[in-house]
Amino acid sequence: MNERLTEQKSIYLQISEMIETDILREILLEEEQVPSTNELAKLYTINPATAAKGVGLLVDEGILYKRRGIGMFVSRGAREKILAKRKAAFAENHVAPLLAEARSLGISRDELLTMIGERNI
Amino acid sequence: MKRNLKFWTRYTWECTGVVLAVAAVLAVIAVFGAEGLDLRALATVVPYFLCIGAVFCIMVGNSGTQTLYVPLLLSMGETRRNVLLGFHYFRVLIIAVMLALCAVIWLLVPGEASAVGLRSIPTILCVLVIASAMGSIMGTIFVKWKWAGMILIIPLCGLGGGMVGVAGSLVGGNFLTARTFEIVSHLTALPWWLPAAAPAALALDVGFQWMLLRRQEVKL
Amino acid sequence: MSLHCENIVKTYGGKDVLHDVTLDLRPGKIYGLIGRNGAGKTTLLSILSAQNPATCGSVTLDGDRVWENRKSLSRICFSRELNATAESGLAAMKAREYLRIAGTYYESWDRALEERLVKLFNLNLKKKLGKMNKGMLSMITIVVALCSGAPYTFLDEPVAGLDVVAREQFYKLLLEEYSDSGRTFVVSTHIIEEAADVLEKVIILHEGKILIETDTQAFVDSAVHVSGKIEEVDAAVAGLEVHHTETVGRSKGVTVFLKPGQKVDGNHDVSVQPVSLQRAFVALCGEEAAR
Repeated sequence: MNERLTEQKSIYLQISEMIETDILREILLEEEQVPSTNELAKLYTINPATAAKGVGLLVDEGILYKRRGIGMFVSRGAREKILAKRKAAFAENHVAPLLAEARSLGISRDELLTMIGERNI
Repeated sequence: MKRNLKFWTRYTWECTGVVLAVAAVLAVIAVFGAEGLDLRALATVVPYFLCIGAVFCIMVGNSGTQTLYVPLLLSMGETRRNVLLGFHYFRVLIIAVMLALCAVIWLLVPGEASAVGLRSIPTILCVLVIASAMGSIMGTIFVKWKWAGMILIIPLCGLGGGMVGVAGSLVGGNFLTARTFEIVSHLTALPWWLPAAAPAALALDVGFQWMLLRRQEVKL
Repeated sequence: MSLHCENIVKTYGGKDVLHDVTLDLRPGKIYGLIGRNGAGKTTLLSILSAQNPATCGSVTLDGDRVWENRKSLSRICFSRELNATAESGLAAMKAREYLRIAGTYYESWDRALEERLVKLFNLNLKKKLGKMNKGMLSMITIVVALCSGAPYTFLDEPVAGLDVVAREQFYKLLLEEYSDSGRTFVVSTHIIEEAADVLEKVIILHEGKILIETDTQAFVDSAVHVSGKIEEVDAAVAGLEVHHTETVGRSKGVTVFLKPGQKVDGNHDVSVQPVSLQRAFVALCGEEAAR
């Protein structure tokens, strides 16, 4: 929850990603309450409607759920869901730009694989 | 409206303080000018000082009201009508308070001079109303159109100063003599045109203020 | 349910400051009123709060006329920018007196909040307004706006004199009061960047006309910066609303405002980058200056 907002992406997307990241890192546990939209709004100095939009995105995906009159909670199985989603997006978000940059620098497929092989995951 | 009255009532008490201070200064000057300290004579003259103080306060206070309170109250969501009403409520209240004070003093100190004072109250009332209406119109002109105000203010100050000078020479610098009472005794006469002029002046002032207030722009 | 103005025209000495402005302010939102100096922001706020008369047009609150209507006026607070220069009568007024009068006139004045803010901002209320610096005067106007409790509250350049820490503090306080009360705030500012995330709606006023009135996020998302080789850029943005063109040698950069359903043509070799509210505003309103 303590990342900083950037200009490069819509604020509400950043809010939902930050909550996701916190769930992945087990800063927020399943069945635990997440900060309210007003708390998020004050923390990041953003409009509560924007914060609500970010939280709403996660509710739609079933990562958070609402307990009437209490607030938002992390769903059971949320972490698995986020992992699956991020893995699915990994190729698009990280591998594709890597390959594009490699191509424009003239790095061959073998060279690239060697570079990756030299590093520990 | 309740809030508006609360504000103007408080403003009236503040102005009453100023009037009392002016009257006190005049009284001190009168005492120093006198040959012997005659408390009774002083008490009967003090009400006139109060009236002079009231005229001073209403006339001078008006340009302050124009530049400051009118835009300030409009900026705080008061209607133009209520600002005008409030301002006039203040003037009625301060004149009433002053006259009541005068009457109380004269009633507490019985005597020939006090009787003259009591009989002068209607005239003093008219004079105060006219003075406050004229002061208000002058002040407004002065604030809205600086140059026109200057032209009007200079002869007015001359007139005021002249009158004080004439009055001073008539009583020979001593305000606590029989001569003073002879002069103020003229106030018991109420010429027919005075009670007519007072409401006319008031109406003229209200009309003039309202005309300007309707188009007033708030600048702080 | 809204504060509505219709076909507002304001003329000063034959010169139009506002041309035909129609606007609807809904309850429970934070609006940003942005525009260059002289765009007419203060004039518009003055007319919406009936502090200045309009030359033409009407202002209504939930259907009732605002002009000379105490009931409507008591629901609106326009905390003006204070200019306590020597010729203003305010210069001699103590801060405490100013707040006292505000507390008398605003029906829902929050005295506890007033005390808290005065302490937080470290304001010396014994000081005369004329002796206060720009930052302190801004703080006084913020105290009046937040404590007034008015359902429609306007702030004119509230952060102009504040340092960066106080500005951040102000936006947090604004959000706090907004979440607690659901009041509507209109904040005029030209320090756009830090306000962008706080403003749910943005109103762009340019030369007396409203250019944009929409969700801030939607407006920012609709604007993109497209750059690359001149021919590629021209092909990629053909048919789109293009502003703020800059050319250096063979390279060109433009800001594009996309209408719903429009896209930059991805078949050309160009970079497409998001832009901030400030860049989008400059692209829209700064064209004469750039030329």
